[in-house]
Amino acid sequence: MGAYLVKKLFLLIPLLFGITLLTFILTKSLPGDPVSGMVGERAQPEVIERIRNEIGADKDVFRQYFGYIKLLLQGELGRSYYTNRKVFDDLILKFPNTLKLALGAMSIAIPVGLFLGFLSAYKRESITDRMITSLSVTGLSIPVFWSGLLLMLFFSLTLKLFPPSGTGDMKFLILPSITLSLPALATLARVTRTTLLEIFDLPFVTVTRSKGIAEVKLITIHVFKNALIPIVTVIGLDFGSYLNGAVLTETIFGWDGIGRFTMEGIIKRDYPVIMGCIITSTLIFVLINTVVDIVYHYLDPRIRLHEKSR
Amino acid sequence: MKRAGKISVALLVVISLCSLFAPLISQYDPDRIDLDAIKEPPSSKHLFGTDNKGRDIFSRVLYGGRISISVALIAAFLSMGIGLIVGLCSGYFGGKIDTAIMALVDLILSFPSFLLAIGISIIFPPGIYTVMIAIAAVGWASFARLIRGYILTLREASFVEAARALGCSNIRIVFVHLMPQCIPLTLVIMGLKLGGYILTEASLSFLGLGAQPPTATWGSMISANRVYISLAPWMVFFPGLMIAVTALCCNILGDNLRDRFDVKIKE
Repeated sequence: MGAYLVKKLFLLIPLLFGITLLTFILTKSLPGDPVSGMVGERAQPEVIERIRNEIGADKDVFRQYFGYIKLLLQGELGRSYYTNRKVFDDLILKFPNTLKLALGAMSIAIPVGLFLGFLSAYKRESITDRMITSLSVTGLSIPVFWSGLLLMLFFSLTLKLFPPSGTGDMKFLILPSITLSLPALATLARVTRTTLLEIFDLPFVTVTRSKGIAEVKLITIHVFKNALIPIVTVIGLDFGSYLNGAVLTETIFGWDGIGRFTMEGIIKRDYPVIMGCIITSTLIFVLINTVVDIVYHYLDPRIRLHEKSR
Repeated sequence: MKRAGKISVALLVVISLCSLFAPLISQYDPDRIDLDAIKEPPSSKHLFGTDNKGRDIFSRVLYGGRISISVALIAAFLSMGIGLIVGLCSGYFGGKIDTAIMALVDLILSFPSFLLAIGISIIFPPGIYTVMIAIAAVGWASFARLIRGYILTLREASFVEAARALGCSNIRIVFVHLMPQCIPLTLVIMGLKLGGYILTEASLSFLGLGAQPPTATWGSMISANRVYISLAPWMVFFPGLMIAVTALCCNILGDNLRDRFDVKIKE
């Protein structure tokens, strides 16, 4: 296990290099002077000088790239053009809200998605199955900024059950969580269904069934265990991408997280803010995916054995 | 093809034709401001109502469809073209080029795709070309990965060996012998991805990175009109409905194509 962990973390290094290289290229390609792009136009001259030395705007591209990494390691993502605040500080400030929303969305998506997936696999080819399947395709096709607005129109503006927008307690959290959970729920239901159906056809299911096990027990214990890997993958991917701040959902509901921060950056063309959000989010995303990989290892003895045999 | 698939194709054809022949269908200029008819609800005169400047929503939805659909389609063809060529070469030639290309593909796929698209589109001034470039720059990677994987299984096939024995050049083998083999797979990936591209186009337009006002696209109409949601919900409802229906039809079509060609796709 230890060796596996080390190997996984070791594999992260080239990936992180690649990611920073790509964001470096993006940053270099932005219109305007990269240094004033990082610190803002109103920065003190000595700060500009320091950054200029650090990223070595006068040196060759390689040195510039390593300077850029050095700045990133110090948590220096530059300052917003408009507020002159450090992007990193704002990101830390807004992260808890994004985390809350991500958890809210996942706590709806996981049980509902799993339930629907189970139900439609269990009642394969029935009307229920067909209805759930079409619902999940629909869920994948509806833009969140539209479903969010419709939910807001119905539940907040017409029924006045929830506040239409803002950041705060449970009341504020429910509508954006539902909105955000819809695509995740749809994906999860789909993946659960296909995975379960594949497993249903495996010989061990027939054997277990022929031993006279209760159908419910067969599905919830024997089949589900084998279906965990793709399900965990989907959950991990969705959770990882929600931690990026759901740009669209947070914007619609005025939820003060990383996503809305990104959106504000885009509207004002506040490059340090946008790039800061992208870098941080990608790092979080990659880390979550690595964690998911490690979780597999725990979940599935087959993977563990496979690793050992190599 | 199943019934749902046929209905989807029919709907997609209808939506595309309506957008294409928008001037024949709607009598209103999509950008003409009519201050005597502000925020009118849907009626026989204005089928989908009017917006805060008195512009006809039906007409704007039709003209907006031209941009939204064509941007998504062109982006899809760009992704497909790049992904197909890169995947073919990478899979067939292998070696260092293959390693390098696949490292780049893995890198792109390890990003949250929507954020990467945002990152790429802020480099350029907002507009329809920016959106196309952003979608294609992210989208080609999954095409390339899947096609490369497929080519790896074909590379040692006897028909390739036969072609080589007959003295075909590598270029000829790749483009004349192998490329046609990829058509079903490419079609399926395209079908599965197109709905997502429609949504990405709409989302980028919603964020203001696409076509600029007064030009209408489905996404930008929603973002411009969302402040009026309680007073004039039709201003938001109809453009969103068009996005959802179009994306839905594409997704159903994609699923149908996959079942039809019996292609297993795992990402």
